[in-house]
Amino acid sequence: MKSIFTHYSLLFLLSVLVFSSCHDEVTTSYTYHTMMPVYYEMSDIRARTITTEPAKPLDNPGKIYIYGDYLFINEPTKGIHILDNEDPANPINLSFIPIAGNVDMAVNGNILYADNYVDLLAFDISKIANIQLIKRVEDVFTHMYYHQTGEIITFKDTVITTENPDWLMEGGWMMDASMSFSANLSAASQNYGTGGSMARFTLSNEHLYAVDQSTLRVFDVAQPADPSFVKPIDLGWGIETIFPFGDKLFIGSNVGMHIYDASTPNSPTRMAVYEHVQACDPVVVNDDYAFVTLRNGNTCWNGANELQVIDIKDLYNPTLKKSYPMLNPHGLGLAGEYLFIAEGTHGLKSFNVGDVMAIDQNQLEFLTDQKSVDLIPGPKSLIVIGPDGVCQFDYSNPSQLKKLSCIQVKNPINFY
Amino acid sequence: MNRILVLFFSGILLFSLKGTAQDKLYFGQTEIGALVGRSEEQWDGNYKRRVDVSLMSFHGVRVSKNQVVGFSVGFDQYNDISIIPIALGWRGFLGKDGKPNFFGGLDLGGGTAVLEKKVSDEWSKSWYKGGFLVSPSVGISFPSLKSKTAFSFSLAYKRQEITHFRGSLSSPGIQTIASDKLPPGYSSMTENSFLFRSLVLRLGIMY
Repeated sequence: MKSIFTHYSLLFLLSVLVFSSCHDEVTTSYTYHTMMPVYYEMSDIRARTITTEPAKPLDNPGKIYIYGDYLFINEPTKGIHILDNEDPANPINLSFIPIAGNVDMAVNGNILYADNYVDLLAFDISKIANIQLIKRVEDVFTHMYYHQTGEIITFKDTVITTENPDWLMEGGWMMDASMSFSANLSAASQNYGTGGSMARFTLSNEHLYAVDQSTLRVFDVAQPADPSFVKPIDLGWGIETIFPFGDKLFIGSNVGMHIYDASTPNSPTRMAVYEHVQACDPVVVNDDYAFVTLRNGNTCWNGANELQVIDIKDLYNPTLKKSYPMLNPHGLGLAGEYLFIAEGTHGLKSFNVGDVMAIDQNQLEFLTDQKSVDLIPGPKSLIVIGPDGVCQFDYSNPSQLKKLSCIQVKNPINFY
Repeated sequence: MNRILVLFFSGILLFSLKGTAQDKLYFGQTEIGALVGRSEEQWDGNYKRRVDVSLMSFHGVRVSKNQVVGFSVGFDQYNDISIIPIALGWRGFLGKDGKPNFFGGLDLGGGTAVLEKKVSDEWSKSWYKGGFLVSPSVGISFPSLKSKTAFSFSLAYKRQEITHFRGSLSSPGIQTIASDKLPPGYSSMTENSFLFRSLVLRLGIMY
């Protein structure tokens, strides 16, 4: 017995010594965020039939649109969730429209507009259980075309692990995480909520306006079911948000706020550009003032975190009335005299802005445990989009927001 | 740190000699020695020699006349990385009472890097993580006059995995997608996996 064990151990030792090389090994792996280019043939995209699918859990919610008793929640680059929000305390996930490349939407009457990479789609949503694609306007968001052959390029935010010591050369698309996120999802998650201030599609005066990074595109939607592309208008670089007010368009870029006169809806003309330091800046507007939040982050790293109140009584000459320091303000929403600000990881604030010179003294509530990116003061509830999900608040008393419900997301966005 | 551990193990050794010899069921072995290895291949195709200190203390019970199972703890130095190995072990003996015995052993466990400090600054964090350990050994023991204890000389092979992580932190205010591959809060992570293969020469005492 004893000899068997001893022999066994000797044999084991020998085999280990013989079969393994006898020097150390070091393997290095490098894991990083990057944007992987993805190429599609637009003809393939168009060949896909788009039909409503059963409800899917919210993965990474982007824009939100309120349509009657329904909520449309965009899943950036994937499609649109449809939720029954008749009771804001208990929203019900109904169905999902798969639309590749979709980042934005708008509803005009019973027609839903949504982008599908370079095309604009129109859906008939008069029967929510039977949504039909009724029109495709081709080749309008042409900035996505990679070259003339109809191939488009998109970028997928990816985490890559490589053991190649020359990882810097791999693919040639090495980018910082901040660049990667903003490049892809700035067109999506960063700009939550069509009803919210971070919108990129907006409807005004029977026209649909869509902004991308440098261009305002105008669609005539006088016949809702038959949108037609009018023209593109060059805006300059770094365009982020669009907010219609009256017959004016307020367009936020990362260097300032553009004011366009849209009284001739199919040909908006520039009235003024209010310039500020480089920062990300959603805008909301009332008759006299524009409220702009500047923040630090993603591609706008200038370090300003503040709320600016801009006097716009003279639209040709907007002037800064006052600015208030903030923590890291993202989207904001105005409901009458009340202003709600999503402070990123810091929480959610509500203010009375009746006296614009004393907003800081009229902070009504600061919910520090409600991380928020954007919000929409809706007819039934204040909808707050945050990294953890989509929450709704009763805001009939703005100094005491009451949480009604929260839709948890499967894959929360982390932001720090 | 190393000196303190040497003292600590010397203490264990002396204590064990004095206190536990009368229990026949118990078997202890404490050894000190050298870890000898060759580095990974250098840029010029050569290897560097690696010689460091190794301490081990095994405690077990006799499950038969010639076999012991138990556990071992120790201290191993690999270049500038200090590792506390903790392993389950087996010892088998061949030979007669009162005469020099051959013995073989096998230790399976893990090395922990608790002695290595985490380094962090504004932009990054780095730390070590221990890993799997296997060490078969053979040796010869010479009983002392007091026959309850024996001096041992052993030769072992030791395979130890250690990983070093260095992560760059995401800048504040930056949104990142969730991923299994990167822990939250990091924008990138460099992972160096070391596999140390060593020959261990040890002298010690069995009791």
